Parts: sequence; structure tokens; C-alpha cells
Amino acid sequence: MKFPKFILLVAMTLLFSCSKTLTIEPENRTVPEGYYNSAQRIQQAVIGGYVDLRRALLTNYAWMMYGEARVGDLNVVVPYQEMVASQELMADNRYLAELSDWGYFYDVIRDANDILDIVAQADDEALSTYQGNLFKGEALALKSMAYFYLARIWGAIPSAEKNDFGKRLSSEEAVTQAALWAAEAKELVPWILTNDDGIESVALTAVRFNKTAVTSLLAQEQLWLGKGQDAYDLLSNAFTAGTADSLSGFGLSNGEDRRTDIPAAPLNGSVVRMSLDRLNAIYPTGDARRASMFNISTSENIATLIIKDASVLELLPQREINLLFAEAAWRSQRLEEAKEYLSSAATGATEDYAALTEDTFGAALLLERQRMLVGTGQRVFDLIRFGEVSSYIPGFTEDDVEKGAAYWPLSASSMKGNALSQNSFWSNP
Amino acid sequence: MRLIPKPGGKVLLFLLISIGAAMSVLAQDSLRVDSMILSNRSGLENILQGNIAGLRVKNWSGTPGVQSTLNLRGLSLDPTDQSTMPLILINGIPVIASPSNVTGINPLSYFSPEQVDRIEIIKDIDRLAAYGVQAPNGALNIIMKEGQPGSIHVRGSAFAGVNFLQNMDYRKDAFYNFNTRGRREVYGSGAMIHEQNVMVDGAGTYGSYLFGLTNHGDKGIIKNTGFGRQSLFLNATYNITERLSAHFYNNLALANRNGRYAGEYSRDITLPVIADESFFMDKNRNIGLVSSMGLTYQLGSGFKISSVAGLSYEGASRDVYIPSDVLDGNIYASSAAYKRQLITVNTSLNYLRDFSDALQLDMTLGNELRNTDDRLTSVSGQRSMENGGSNYVKVVTGYNANQTDALSDHEKEKLLSFYGIWKWKYKKDLGVNMVLRADGSSLYKNKWAFYPALGVHYELKNSLKIPVTVNASIGRTGVLSRPEVYRGVLDAYGDYYGGNYLGVGQLYPAFGGAKSIGVTQIDAGLSFAILPSLNLSVDYFNKTYRNFTYQRFLPNISGIGYEYETGGALGLSGVEISLDATWVQTKHFTWTGNLNMALYKNKVKELPDDVENTSLAYLGSLSKGTAVTSLIAWEGKQPKVIGNSEPKAFGGLSNTFRYRNISASIILTYAWGANIVAESFSSRYYADRVGNDFPLKSAETPYYLVSADADGRTVYQGIRTVEDGSFLRLSRASVSWHLNSVFKKLAQLSDIEVFARGDNLLTLSKYSGINPEENITGVRRYDLSYTGTPLPSSVALGLKLVF
Repeated sequence: MKFPKFILLVAMTLLFSCSKTLTIEPENRTVPEGYYNSAQRIQQAVIGGYVDLRRALLTNYAWMMYGEARVGDLNVVVPYQEMVASQELMADNRYLAELSDWGYFYDVIRDANDILDIVAQADDEALSTYQGNLFKGEALALKSMAYFYLARIWGAIPSAEKNDFGKRLSSEEAVTQAALWAAEAKELVPWILTNDDGIESVALTAVRFNKTAVTSLLAQEQLWLGKGQDAYDLLSNAFTAGTADSLSGFGLSNGEDRRTDIPAAPLNGSVVRMSLDRLNAIYPTGDARRASMFNISTSENIATLIIKDASVLELLPQREINLLFAEAAWRSQRLEEAKEYLSSAATGATEDYAALTEDTFGAALLLERQRMLVGTGQRVFDLIRFGEVSSYIPGFTEDDVEKGAAYWPLSASSMKGNALSQNSFWSNP
Repeated sequence: MRLIPKPGGKVLLFLLISIGAAMSVLAQDSLRVDSMILSNRSGLENILQGNIAGLRVKNWSGTPGVQSTLNLRGLSLDPTDQSTMPLILINGIPVIASPSNVTGINPLSYFSPEQVDRIEIIKDIDRLAAYGVQAPNGALNIIMKEGQPGSIHVRGSAFAGVNFLQNMDYRKDAFYNFNTRGRREVYGSGAMIHEQNVMVDGAGTYGSYLFGLTNHGDKGIIKNTGFGRQSLFLNATYNITERLSAHFYNNLALANRNGRYAGEYSRDITLPVIADESFFMDKNRNIGLVSSMGLTYQLGSGFKISSVAGLSYEGASRDVYIPSDVLDGNIYASSAAYKRQLITVNTSLNYLRDFSDALQLDMTLGNELRNTDDRLTSVSGQRSMENGGSNYVKVVTGYNANQTDALSDHEKEKLLSFYGIWKWKYKKDLGVNMVLRADGSSLYKNKWAFYPALGVHYELKNSLKIPVTVNASIGRTGVLSRPEVYRGVLDAYGDYYGGNYLGVGQLYPAFGGAKSIGVTQIDAGLSFAILPSLNLSVDYFNKTYRNFTYQRFLPNISGIGYEYETGGALGLSGVEISLDATWVQTKHFTWTGNLNMALYKNKVKELPDDVENTSLAYLGSLSKGTAVTSLIAWEGKQPKVIGNSEPKAFGGLSNTFRYRNISASIILTYAWGANIVAESFSSRYYADRVGNDFPLKSAETPYYLVSADADGRTVYQGIRTVEDGSFLRLSRASVSWHLNSVFKKLAQLSDIEVFARGDNLLTLSKYSGINPEENITGVRRYDLSYTGTPLPSSVALGLKLVF
């Protein structure tokens, strides 16, 4: 019978020609597919990376808890501070549980990898060369920074890269990889960023990755890996008399985030403070920087930080450059040069750094980093890098540090989802 | 207030149950509404309750205008969503039938039962597959009345009655914190329920017409609330030529529902009673339109072409204002509008052919286009009194995003289908139905799904001389997954650089492998006329649902929490028994009855590997073969099945007695074997506060549920009792008297009927709450979420006139 055959033929033809009719572009709703079709939208993805980094570092005052709050330099007026300061990092407390989870840092890594894909796939017309380089550089820098934080906070960590997803990386492997990305990023980002009107903007540069910041990050990573000479070469080549006017710090812009209670003024004196005794121990009377850095209340026996720009939380301040130079010079057997850098960095200190020797230089540099970088959350990382954890964290022996005491324990979900176990210290603290 | 004296009622029930159990019925495919006991409550679903084996109509809420839960051989992973609802058709055309989330008004309340001629129940796969992915869980086809021969008839009917509360026993209503005083302020008996209908109809060689209007009002039992509906309708056919005819149907309804805070939003009525609600406002307004137009052309030589366009539209809007004395010093206002439209165009070619005296074919080939288009807009804001709000200023100006929320959404879907239905008939004994349907959906990357079915029906009466009909069928349908599954998520969570830049994260990629859930169904049944007046039918079905979409949780280094996967299988099978009898039929007295029972069992057939790391983890403690509707709680550190939220059996028993001009009918409904988990009102703890050990209370069960609050803190919720939710309910009863003889001198009056009717008159149950069907999920939560308001009883007196 011909009739049914004909119907079947017509039906099949109709079926296969209808797929187009059945495609609906969603309206007034953003979906991932096809969204990133302009420079403005791709920039939103880049900003998304910063916003996620901000969440990783600011939720529960994480950057403080991983840094100064853990050694008691700064106190954060939150209930879990004491547990952190007394190294009870596995206590049954949901904030500590959140702090020991690394998920937010991996969100940043995912964002960065997404941005790299988006930029690679973007239409030629969508991005100018400047934008393409900037966004790619920022993504690489975000990724580098996230891995660097992870390795410094937890030691060995899993990779979240497509080619070796889930592979356990030693701290050294992770930072080596991070340094490669930072090196690539350094070549892509400019010294000063331009705003949407194409005008150079100092304020914008201060909250996004710029060449100064990426160079500092890379230098930190190289120093972490013990590559003093590489760091010295990097810094000497990057920061010359010709670039002196283009330098900028880098910090996170404070703003709204509807996911968590992220502090809008993270260093506000009502929450973050230092005891007067501690202040006196760190900055002896006569140190000219005390008055410019701290509000001191003798009646309450506390010192609070003077915030020059409340809209930014500094992570890689410009003032660190000389300290990095000093460390790189020292680590590459250039003690005299190192002392000069340290002296010029530590303007206002009571000490005479010209008299330092190979043996005493390390302690002086560590102290100056503690003084000058207060509030940036680097203290514990410095102690690990200088091998001084057991000297400054009471209760930790050399053996404890050897077992991994300086790192944070792994959260339950980090262990379960990635088939990991605690290091030998935290498995039996 | 008791309508039936207790001892008398019990004897009557016993008598009816014993008689009913000994007799009964066949699987009904079509129910004539004029022969059914109607309901005082609005909602066409309520008149079906207890009448059909396998159709569960669950009266979960007493709020008038709310839809009762409908389930016809349906199973879903989420007991709170509407995906188990059968497809609702009006004159064969799909309509919007699920309540909108904005107002919650039931679209099945847009029609008066008086408009309906009959309701067809479609549950066997060889008929269902023709509806494809639209009807995985059966279909109800509501056929509206048409004009009757004659130039003009005028039919009027009206009833009025009162709602009242039973079972509001202070020892039982732990719900309301044992606060009898507060409860009395909120709930009360005696509010009006009423309805008026007028229809004009006629028919002749030109075709037929019927038009009319209805009005329904129900003040419920929550004081200062109520529901109302007005509608206008038209149903007409016009024979344009001998071969060409047109059909028009139209129903336009306005529905409104007013709510109140205490008793509806807040069920925890605390002392001192309740706050002043003078300025409170909760206005829900719906407009519902169902319209269709069809053309049928007889081509000759057995061919017929017909094309029907259907339009179903609902506009729902809600305005809420909550004054500060109710809301702890804040005032709140919101306004939301949700507009849904469904357009269908169905064109088909029908071919009838007698190949010989013995073999006949009825073939239909067609296509159907179904477009849905839903739009939602809502604005809500809250501000505190300190910022200048006041109780009676019904405007809230939010200062920033934290105070005001605005949302607008637009959702469109297209479904394109082609179908073929072949019905073969051999010698009147053997019928073979074949269906093939292809559905293309705009939801998925892989657009097309195919749904075939085959059914065989055989009457043994002629060949084997036994009055038995057997049938068997097998086929497939599907369930559409929701858009969030396949579309992916792109969201902006934070701003940056002085609020100048928005941080957008590419959070979840679209799920390219999204597809509909596949449902394979097997049916087998027999119908046995034991006596000419006694028919028994037994039907068995077995459904397997495959390829659910669920979330697979990813390791926390992935940057996203989960990705979607499809897999898993659930099974639903059951036996439906129906016994129809005419016990007595004499000149003046008839007694007919129906008993129906559905015995269902659902089970987990397959779970994804490593189920603990998926969104189906809650099923992880269920072994294969265990009911998916199991109620699971923790005892000590172990999860345990403590009951089943679905009954082992449910159904109805109806009896109708006619003596001369008087007739009396009752319908009982029952469900047996369901459990209800009643959460404790006092044993609720933060896990970290109790050392992660649930503290046992001697007066409660050792079981507890684990959840997380908005901050992610683990909460232990104790369970007070695990109860038997079985019940037997006198759902509806009516007595009517045709007074034609009294008024026979009035020539124009062709019929006059007076009736009295009662709804939900008596419930026998051991359940400690008010209504054993009130918990949607089988769990009565500590805050009464997913629990309905008390179900009222009602009695009404009415009159029907036909001129």
C-alpha cells in the first residue's frame, strides 16, 4: 500500500526539518551558552574571578585566620579566633570547618580556566589585543595566586587542571606550576590598566592584576621555591628606574556579595585589632611608623590599623617590593645589596640594618615583613618560608612542623571527595 | 455540630461496607456526571473522588479554591511537585490544570460540575501513548455538555449551605500549640457555601448550542477568608454543510481568593492569641480562559479531516501586605503576576475502512503543536517601622537590594508531535490498537523521542460462551524534565570596584544529555459479567520509570558543586478491582452500587552507582525492591525505614437508592496502610549543641530527621509519633426528590428537583491530627509546611429546574 509509505516519508522529512523550529532562545535570562559575546561580558567573567577570590579570602576573615590571626599578631573579634590562635583547627566548629575547606579557592581556579576558554574562543572582533591580553593575563594570575594560597595553606593539594585533574601535587610542584602561569601572566598584563573609557586608571589598577602585582606574586613564588637568583633577576629586570612611575599595589576591592556574610570593611578596628603589648613587642617605642600605621588606645590597651583606603584590602602592596628585593638579594648571596634594600624599605625603624650579618639578616627581614605587611595575611607563610614556625608558634616543635603542623587540616569533604587523608600531624594532633 | 448521630452512623457504615464488599464493579472508562454525587466544594476533581479504581483524589487542604492532589497511576521522585498529575483535557484539548504558584487557585474550579457531561479516564497505555510525553500519568478527558434536541431549554440550579468543622478536638490539635483560644479566633463554623448555574441550550439540524453562567462562593472555615468564581461559557456546533461542521467552546472564569496571616501562613498560633490583622491583605485573583475551535470535513470514502485549535490562558495575580504588628516591627508588601498560556493545534486525518465483514480499520494520522508561554513578574519589599513605615501605608519603598526584590521571568516551550493510531477490529471479538507517536521538544538537544504502544482486547463471549473480556497492552510514554536541568546556570553573585562591575561566574554548564524520563507500561485485565447485573473487572499494570535526571556531587576541587546525570529506575505496579452491581431493579425501587479498590506497590529498581554522592542520596538506605515512598529517619547513627507515605490500598464505595421520585446516594472513600510521621514540636536541636548525639525523649519515638538550616547548620528534628494514616470517610451523601408530579400543571416546567447534599461528613481514623490526608509528603512537619489547613465539612440544600 503506497499511502502509508508516503505518510511515513512525509513524517520523517517533517521530523528532521523541525529541529530548528524547536529551538528557543531564552529571553530575559542569562544562560552560559553564547553569553560571553562582548568585551564587557567577558570582563564580567574576569571580575567573577576576583569576586570569588574575595569570597575565598574574606569569608570568616579567612585571610587573617590563615595569616596573622593564627600567630596572634592581630586578633579578630569572632568566636573562633581563639581556637585558631591556639591551633585547635580541628575543633568542632562550623566556621573552622568552613575555613579548613578549600572549595572557594578551587572556585577561583575554575573561573580562571573558564576565562581562558572564553578568551580563546572569543570572536576576533569581540576583544581588542589589549583586552585579550589583559583578560588572559588576569586569569592566569588568578589561577597562580589561588594555587599559591592553596599550597601555602594546605601543603600538598590536588590539581584541578584538565590534563591531570585530581592528581596530588606536592607543595613544591603546585607552586612551580603556579609560577609558570604567573610568568606567562606577567608578559600579558600592563603596568597601568585603562578604564572603560580608555583612560589609565590608578584606582582600577590597584584592584586588578597589573605588572607590578604579578611580578611580586611571581617573586614570592620563586622565593617560596628557594630560587633566590631567579627572583633577583626577575625583580631587577622588571623594576627599573624606567618603570618606577608605573608601579601599583594590588588588593581586593570591597563590595557586595549575596552568597555569604563577607565583611564590607574587613580591617575595621572594631573587629581587627592588636593588643598594645604585642604592638610594643613588634614596633618598639621610637619606631616612627607606629603613629602612621596604628590608632593606639592606651585605655583599652589596643591598637587598630589605620586604613588609608577602606575600599581596598591590600594583598600585594607596593611597599613589599623592596622587601622582596632584599630577600632575593640575600638568598642569592648579595648581603650588602640586601641590607640596602631592607634599610630603604624599613624607613622609620629604630634598628640599624647596616650592621646585619648573614646570620642575623633573616630574623631582621622576617621582623620587617611582620611590621610592614601587617594586615595582608602573610605572616604564617613567611614563617614557613623562613623555617621559623616552631620559633613563633607556641606549642609546635620542629617535629610537629616536620609532620605538617604549619598547614591547615583537611576538611571532611576535601578528604572524602578527593580520596585524601590528613597529614601525619593532623591525623593525630 | 454532628449531622449523623454517632451510633446510627456507625451501623449505617457497617451495613454499607459489608454489602459493598460483597458485590461490585468494572473499570470505568467514562463517568456521566449527572449520575454522580456532586461536591459542594469547588474543583471538578472532587466529584471524581472514590469513583474510579486507581484515581486518588487527596483532600489535603481545607482552603477553598485549592486543588486536591490528583494521582492516576503516577509516581515521582519528588512528592511535593505536580509531575504525577494526570493530563487534563477539555473536549480532548489539553488545558492548564495545575494551580499557579502565585495564587494557588485551582484551574479545575473554573468549571461547575453542572457544565460537564462526562469524564473519560484514560489509563491504559494503548490509549495513553497517543498523548506521548504529555501523559505519563494517565489522562482525564472532561467532555462538556452540549445542547439537547429542541429549540430551547433553560436549566437553572442553585444550592446554599454552610461549612462546619469537625474533629477540632483540643486534645488532638497539637498543631495549634494546644491554643484553643487562638484557634477559635481563627477557625469557625457556619460560613456560607453556595452556587448558582443557569444554562440555555437547544439542538436541531443546524447543530447545537449551549451557553450559560455560573457563580460559586465558599467562605471556608478560616474567618475573613473565602473563595469565589464566576464564569460564562458556550458550547456550540454548527453544521455549515452536510460535510463540514464547526465546533466552538469557550469558558471564561474569574476566580478570587482572600487569605489571612493567622491560620494560613502562620499555623503556630501562639499566646496571646494573634496580632491585630486589620491591615493585612492577601488578594488572589485569577482569570482563566479555555477556548477552542474545531473544523471537521467529511471527505467521503471513509476519510475525515479535522483540525482543532485550543487556547488555555490563566492570568494569576496576588497582592500581599503584612502590617508591622504581625511582622515583628516590619511591614511587607508584594505583588506578583503569573500569566500562563497554552496553545495547541491538532490536525488529523481519520480513515474508516471495512476490509470485509469481519475486518475493520479505524486509522488516525495527525500532528499536534503545543506551545506554552509562561511569564512571571513579582516585586516585594520590606522595611522597618523605624524607617518610616506604618501599618496602614500599603506602599513599601526599599532603599536597596536587600529591601526590595524584583523578578521577571519568561519561560517558553514547544512540543511538536506526529502520531498515528490504528484500531483494528476483527469480528467484533478481537480489537487491536496500535499507536506510534513522535514528540519533539524544545527542551533538549536531542529533540525527538518515540512512543509506540500495542494493545489487544478480546471478548470471549461469542467464541467461548463466557462473559469475559480480556485485554493486554504494552507501550511507552515519557515525563518532561524541568528547564533548570538542561539549561545551565550563569549567575552574578557580587559586585566590584565601587559597584561598577558585576562579577558573573559561569557556574554550571548546560546539560547536553538532558532527556525525558522514559516510562514503559504493561497492562493486563479482565472484565467478567458474573451476572447480567453484576460485573467484576480486575486490571493489572506495571510501570517502569527510567532515566531520572539527578545531580552528581563533585569533589570540592571542581569549582562547581555538581553535574547532572541520568539514570536510576523506579517501578510502580498495581491491581485495580472494580465491582459494579445493580442489586435491585423494580418498577419503583433500584439499588446500584460500586466498590473499587486499588492495591499499589512502588519500588526502587535501580539506583545510580555511588548514590551517596548524588542528589538521590536520601534513597541510599533503600535496598532494591523497597518502596521509594518509604519514610526514612535516623535511629542512633543508622538510617531506617519507619513507614511508607503511600497507602497499600485505596478506593471508594458508592451506593445509590431510588424509590419513585426520591433518590439517595452516598460515597465512602478509604485508604489503608499509609504512615504519617508527626514531627515533634519541642525536640528540635542544633547538632553541634547536643554533641552530635540526638537526645532521646521518653514520650517520643527514638527516630529523628536530619536537615540543615539556612546557615548550613545541621538540625536534628525529633519524631513524636509514627502513625497509621488509614481512614474511612463518608465523602459525599445526597438525597434528592423530583417534584414533577407536584408541579405537573406547570406546562413549561419539565423537571424540578430538590436536593440536600453533604461533603466530608464523617472520618474514621486513628490519626492524631485533623485530616489524615493533610500531609503532602506523609510528614507532618513541626512548622506545618506541606500540611493543609483543616478540611471542613459542609451541608447544602439545593434546587434544580428545567424549563
